[in-house]
Amino acid sequence: MNTTPTKPGTGHSPPQPPAAAPHPPPRRGRRSSSTVSPLLYLFPVPALVLYAIFFAVPTFQAFQYAMTNWDGFSAAYDNVGLRNFERIATSDDLFRNALTNNLKFVLVVVVFQTLFALILAILLTVNTRGSVMLRALFFFPTILSSVSVAFIWKFMYDPNFGLINSVLETVGLDGLTGAFLGNPNQAIYWVAVTQVWFHAGQMMVIFIAGLQQVPKEMYEAAEVDGASRWGRFRHVTWPMIAPATAIVMAYTTIQSFKAFDLILGLGGNPPKQSMDILSTRIYAGFTNSEFGYAAAESIYFMVVIALITWAQRRIVRLTQAGAQ
Amino acid sequence: MTKAFSQGMHRRDLLRLLGIAGLGSLGVSCAGPGSTTNSDDAAPEEGDVSGAISFAHWRAEDSDVFDEIISDFAAEHDDVSVRQDISPSNDYQSTALQRVRSAAIGDAFTAFRGAQFVDMASAGLFADLSEQPFAQNYQADLITAGQSDGRQLGFPYQLVFNMPVFNVDAFEDAGISEPPADWDGFLDLLDKLASAGYTPMAWPGGEPGNAGQLINSMVMNNAPSEDMFTGMEQGEFDATDDWFVTTLKQYAELRPFFQNNASGTAVEPAQQMFAEGEAAILATGSYHIAAIRDLGAEFPMDLISPITVGADEVQFRGVHNATFILGVNTASDNQATATAFVEYLSRPEVAAVYADGTGQHVTVEGVEYTSPDLQALAHWLDQPTILAPRFQFNDLDMRSAIEDAAIQVVGGKDPEQAAADAQRIVEQRRA
Repeated sequence: MNTTPTKPGTGHSPPQPPAAAPHPPPRRGRRSSSTVSPLLYLFPVPALVLYAIFFAVPTFQAFQYAMTNWDGFSAAYDNVGLRNFERIATSDDLFRNALTNNLKFVLVVVVFQTLFALILAILLTVNTRGSVMLRALFFFPTILSSVSVAFIWKFMYDPNFGLINSVLETVGLDGLTGAFLGNPNQAIYWVAVTQVWFHAGQMMVIFIAGLQQVPKEMYEAAEVDGASRWGRFRHVTWPMIAPATAIVMAYTTIQSFKAFDLILGLGGNPPKQSMDILSTRIYAGFTNSEFGYAAAESIYFMVVIALITWAQRRIVRLTQAGAQ
Repeated sequence: MTKAFSQGMHRRDLLRLLGIAGLGSLGVSCAGPGSTTNSDDAAPEEGDVSGAISFAHWRAEDSDVFDEIISDFAAEHDDVSVRQDISPSNDYQSTALQRVRSAAIGDAFTAFRGAQFVDMASAGLFADLSEQPFAQNYQADLITAGQSDGRQLGFPYQLVFNMPVFNVDAFEDAGISEPPADWDGFLDLLDKLASAGYTPMAWPGGEPGNAGQLINSMVMNNAPSEDMFTGMEQGEFDATDDWFVTTLKQYAELRPFFQNNASGTAVEPAQQMFAEGEAAILATGSYHIAAIRDLGAEFPMDLISPITVGADEVQFRGVHNATFILGVNTASDNQATATAFVEYLSRPEVAAVYADGTGQHVTVEGVEYTSPDLQALAHWLDQPTILAPRFQFNDLDMRSAIEDAAIQVVGGKDPEQAAADAQRIVEQRRA
């Protein structure tokens, strides 16, 4: 597309500010912007090759393997069409159980992690020495390895030697002691508590970055208009940190689906059914020499994450549009 | 094409190129999976023993003993070195097959008995050791777990007793002098221990891998056959059969004798309770004795299995497992040295070093144990013990479902409901 400069004061273009330099005349022989030197197309080739080798090919292969009964090591295998997908959807209680656990886990983690991260961020946005120190303190768990975190919390939850039951017993609340990870109805929620502790500080940092971008003038204007503290949060802060919230929620969701090492650390390999989530289920498939079936599970896994992330983004947009 | 390049390339051309590249990727990815064929390679009986090899295994706790053995092995040969490639047992269970197959590690390697050995044998990883003269060093009835299609592909090295360990002093303290003859006798024994102030049994119900060991003893007389779980896998038996429901009901009877909230206890705290003398029995296996000693326990230990039937129906007194299957990798380019290393480990005097250093019995014949713990347990080598039933499962999900049923019963679930839920998984896995 060629651009022809319009004379000031003529045509439909708005008047140019006087200080603006005039557009340079088009160079002679300049190519159309849709046509570039062919050599330029060579620049992305290394990246594309890497992308193809490490992303595109394995993704396509996952689809292909998903339609086989390949065991992961034999040269022989059968094409089974969509049978793996059908079996997962209709007659695999273990997959359904892992999906249910995962959804419970994601829900609890996304809600509480986002909430705690936001509260901490609001409290620590100001750049005082104390805030900076507390930010570092809350961020600290993030730099630990998930195996260490699992090890620490495994002993926190231990019913006989664990810190939680010991404290409860010491203060006379014996009735509240429990088996924690050993209780099949509660285990996944206790894992969620660990996950929130592990990553809330990380999400807090994203929120702080978002909050520090909100212009102070907007709060002053809202205050002049008589907005209460809640009103300022609802009509100024919340809409302005929409991008940060979307990032936090999407990242937390994906992180929750992939809380693989934390689960294995807390629950062993393979974990009990009460702690099994999709990523550990898929891993169990590979361990059980069912590569084809595990590949089909991976594809379901991908679809579930995509759907939930999309739904979340819609919800965040809608709630924040409503708040404006 | 020359013309297009000389005149510049349009976006459409680029999209075409990307499309072609994408289709190319698709084509590449459509290449069939799997590249291994079964190998009938026999390990060399002779050859140049030199160079570097890798020994892949999962027992980090044995690395010092292996270092000592490797050092002695290297002293016998010029220019030989052996590197230990150790992965945690869970990772080894999951990834060893792929890593050993690539020959990146494991010129000599080990396998778990059961599903992993079967898969590795199917993948052709094991060189045939049937004709190796050192095969005669092993106790023949203990190395069947390393056979496939009539060939001796590997040698199970460790002899483990997967049955509860008890504190001999605590039993004496509770006035128990004889092992129980039947199920009532066993419950009475636990009752006496509780009355004497002990937690009768420490059981790591929070960790399926260790919690599952108890099922070996619980089913050994209820279903006194070495292939009951194989039969379950193949559809001959169900989890809702009387023998298994009875087993789960007996787990329910054991509830008051485990530590509080046993279904959430990890293995380390259970070991701690036992090592400190708080619990009288640790319901895991002899493989934990060395760890108990490391925790400072000085009391004498022995093994005891719950007898779940009447005195006249008892067929087995305990459980054993022959595992840590030593093999030579067919993909190795230094099979002669790897075979020589396996041969070295198979010598009685070397196996004795391993046994005493690790607190494990071995399947090699003629070994003289000097460790007091191994000497104390040596009488079990002559007792009627069953090959650990839980390792008969080749389907790990099915095994987990069965073991999880027992854990849930201890946690309070109705045994019949637990059996029915497990059966549902069993049926789905058979399909």
